[in-house]
Amino acid sequence: MSERKVLIKARKLKKYFDVAKNTKLKAVEDATFMIYEGEKFGVVGESGCGKSTLGRLILQLHSQTSGSCVYFGKSIQEINPRYLQKEIGKLKDYQTKAKELYQKSLKYDQKVKDLNAKRDELDIEISANDARLYDKLSKEIDKARYTSKEYKKNASRSLREGSRIVGSLILSGDLDKVTELFFKAEDEIKMAHDLLIKCNALRDRCHEIELKLHESETIDDKIKALETKEDKSDIEKFQLDDYLKIKKSINNLDVDALISESQKLSGEIDALEKEILKHRENEMAYRKEAFSYRDKNVLDITERCQDETYRRKLDANYETGINLSKLTRSEMRSIRKDMQMIFQDPAASLDPREAVGKAIEETFKINTKMPHKVRKEKTMQLLEKVGLKREHYYSYPHSLSGGQKQRVGIARAIALDPSFIVLDEAVSALDVSVQAQILELLDELIKEKHMTYFFITHDLGVVKHFCDRIMVMYLGHVCELAPAKELFKKRLHPYTESLLESVPRLTLLKDRKGQEKILEGEVPSAIHPPKGCPFHTRCQKCMDICTKIRPKYIEAEKDHFVACHLYGEKK
Amino acid sequence: MEKVLEVKNLYATFTIQKKDYEVLHDISFSIKRNETVCVVGESGCGKSVTTLCIMQLLPKNGKIQSGSIILDGQDLLKLPKKEVRQYRGKKMGMIFQEPMTALNPLLTIGSQLKENIMLHRGLKKKEATDLALEYLKKVGIANPKERLRQYPFELSGGLRQRVLIAMVLSAQPDLLIADEPTTALDVTIQKQVLTLLNDLKKDMNAGILFITHDLGVVAEIADRVVVLYAGRKVEEGTTEQIFKNPLHPYTIGLMKAVPNVDLDEFEIKPIPGTFPNITEEIPGCRFNPRCPLSRECPLCTKEAPEMIEAEKGHFVACHLAKEEKR
Repeated sequence: MSERKVLIKARKLKKYFDVAKNTKLKAVEDATFMIYEGEKFGVVGESGCGKSTLGRLILQLHSQTSGSCVYFGKSIQEINPRYLQKEIGKLKDYQTKAKELYQKSLKYDQKVKDLNAKRDELDIEISANDARLYDKLSKEIDKARYTSKEYKKNASRSLREGSRIVGSLILSGDLDKVTELFFKAEDEIKMAHDLLIKCNALRDRCHEIELKLHESETIDDKIKALETKEDKSDIEKFQLDDYLKIKKSINNLDVDALISESQKLSGEIDALEKEILKHRENEMAYRKEAFSYRDKNVLDITERCQDETYRRKLDANYETGINLSKLTRSEMRSIRKDMQMIFQDPAASLDPREAVGKAIEETFKINTKMPHKVRKEKTMQLLEKVGLKREHYYSYPHSLSGGQKQRVGIARAIALDPSFIVLDEAVSALDVSVQAQILELLDELIKEKHMTYFFITHDLGVVKHFCDRIMVMYLGHVCELAPAKELFKKRLHPYTESLLESVPRLTLLKDRKGQEKILEGEVPSAIHPPKGCPFHTRCQKCMDICTKIRPKYIEAEKDHFVACHLYGEKK
Repeated sequence: MEKVLEVKNLYATFTIQKKDYEVLHDISFSIKRNETVCVVGESGCGKSVTTLCIMQLLPKNGKIQSGSIILDGQDLLKLPKKEVRQYRGKKMGMIFQEPMTALNPLLTIGSQLKENIMLHRGLKKKEATDLALEYLKKVGIANPKERLRQYPFELSGGLRQRVLIAMVLSAQPDLLIADEPTTALDVTIQKQVLTLLNDLKKDMNAGILFITHDLGVVAEIADRVVVLYAGRKVEEGTTEQIFKNPLHPYTIGLMKAVPNVDLDEFEIKPIPGTFPNITEEIPGCRFNPRCPLSRECPLCTKEAPEMIEAEKGHFVACHLAKEEKR
């Protein structure tokens, strides 16, 4: 468990919906968590606690109000987001602005000095006039001091804003040099990006050739198998036609030329990959160099900048991942291939007038340049993978059962080999026996492909036995986050406790241990959430502090996060 | 104990495109006073149709072919339609899944409650108001006086369901039918409603027929359980018998498919195959295409199994269970 790679890092994610003038519905408030690669991350809570909103926030289907959501599944080179260039360009502005402000504050410092000197010259005891003047000067000094302080504050704020962009770089003295280095690193990213696109195009072509070769080898067998079969079904007749057409086109193919082309292409791909690697190394070198400048600490505007904890905070701001909320639409689209979603109601997410196969094929049509036949073949393979038959390619949603429809939804989501899938109550609308089938399928898929699930549900039984880590939400707040087994063994937050108590269980009433506590009252409105801890209105362990201050979200035990006053700083 | 409701050999069909399809096949069970009987099954197994048969509220294309439904010694199927109305609401009350659709959004809670009481109990308006207040208190609603003046949209889902329960109880029925009353509610609210029903059962002096698909809810509330599969009763027994010693392969499969929160280690094992459509014809036992045991037994695909009593009060319809007993 020690070497886990982070896939998604959310920090202080917030989403407010405007419901009326000056009224905001606080759907998600300060959600901070990390999702590791290859895990099944479960989110539970009652309806209206913001779990679905959170899932959509990560996929950027809602734009977040504030906070950051950083995705590590792809490197910056692959996307080369525009916001990065823009922000590095901004860096200089912040720097000059900070300098200007600092200069201004120095002016006022000088003024304070002058006034002080003037005041010292006065003799209050002799002249009443002087005494009056003294008071006046004192007031002016105070004012100047205040202004200077304000300017300094603004300067540091401007610097902090800049530091948000490239982490602790701002602490360096020679910012021109650093910015230059960063621009160089940017250029390397751009070059690597261009090469990568070229490389991918070549790879596609390679794949195409491979498929063609494979087809030419196997098509005879397929045709034979179908021709010898008696009483063919309509679909099979259809397939046979297809195959014969393919065979015709294959006869015109020059197989040797294709093989030599594919060999040539693979050589080119290797060369390109080497070049990309070189660019990446260069980029890292530039970044490293830029970072080496930072320790000189020439700018001494606030003492806080020298503060070790503050600097660490700035360091944390520098991310190697992609900040999803800052991407442009087209950039987000290219990432969305990697991040898919499966919806609760399988019937509502399929077009009733479109054949199932076409619905799945559409993803290939939009996102790849595969030729028609390859798309069809791939779609059929997908259908088989999710436990349907090849024939289902031609059937319409109304002829499928709920479980089968959900399988189609899954096929569509995994079509592009995504690395992250949000499952929004994916099994809640299904009957228990079918639900178990779908869970089994999801389990197989995650083992086979390298995927990560964000599993939203209200069913505690399902999360317990399906997920690796569980996050409990209440009224938009994250209450508790822990590994599944630990959460059920040792629940820290009182809400988790009462939620688990109220789950209907398969144990008979008389066999249950201990007294049952029933959670009283109902979930308060998210428009006017209670002050302090959101749960205090229903909590049985409510203390004085709970009604006033919102509890901090802390790591009470290793890997076990909780937001409750019962678990203070002691631990 | 006296039997409140007795359903005997009930057969019902639905007409779809001029063809009759059987939705209920030989369903019999009974409910005693102060007893809760749970009917469990997947969607499409005929749980809701059973309740509609009892209430005589089947849609136009549905028809009861034969059998008898005896409420308080009177066979409802032999009564003319007008007289059934005397029973509906007064002697048997129903709580629906969606409380919002069951309440009239244009009338206050109070007027709907009072109307019900005045109609079924024959009381004057003033007495009805007092009684309405009393019942609202009984179902655990705080400040009932204000609630009487409120409209359904002002209440939350849990409160609406409580109001419905109060409304049904105020007629003092002999039989309470609850069709998935907690499915639309959150778990914490569900627990509240279930506890309320359990508490009320003691002084209600009626039988409860509880429809659900959630085995967890069954463990919470039921005295006896009837398991339905594709329009047939496959198993019946006390809650303890069903949970500790399930006999029918379908019941066993259901237990394995529901993730148990109480266990530390649990592997979710699905029942293979899909639930049959009512238009599908399956010879022999309806469950045999999905049954893990049917391969060993040649009878399953040929003959429909009869209901046998495996232990006292525990009935099961399975060829294999029968063999075991011998």
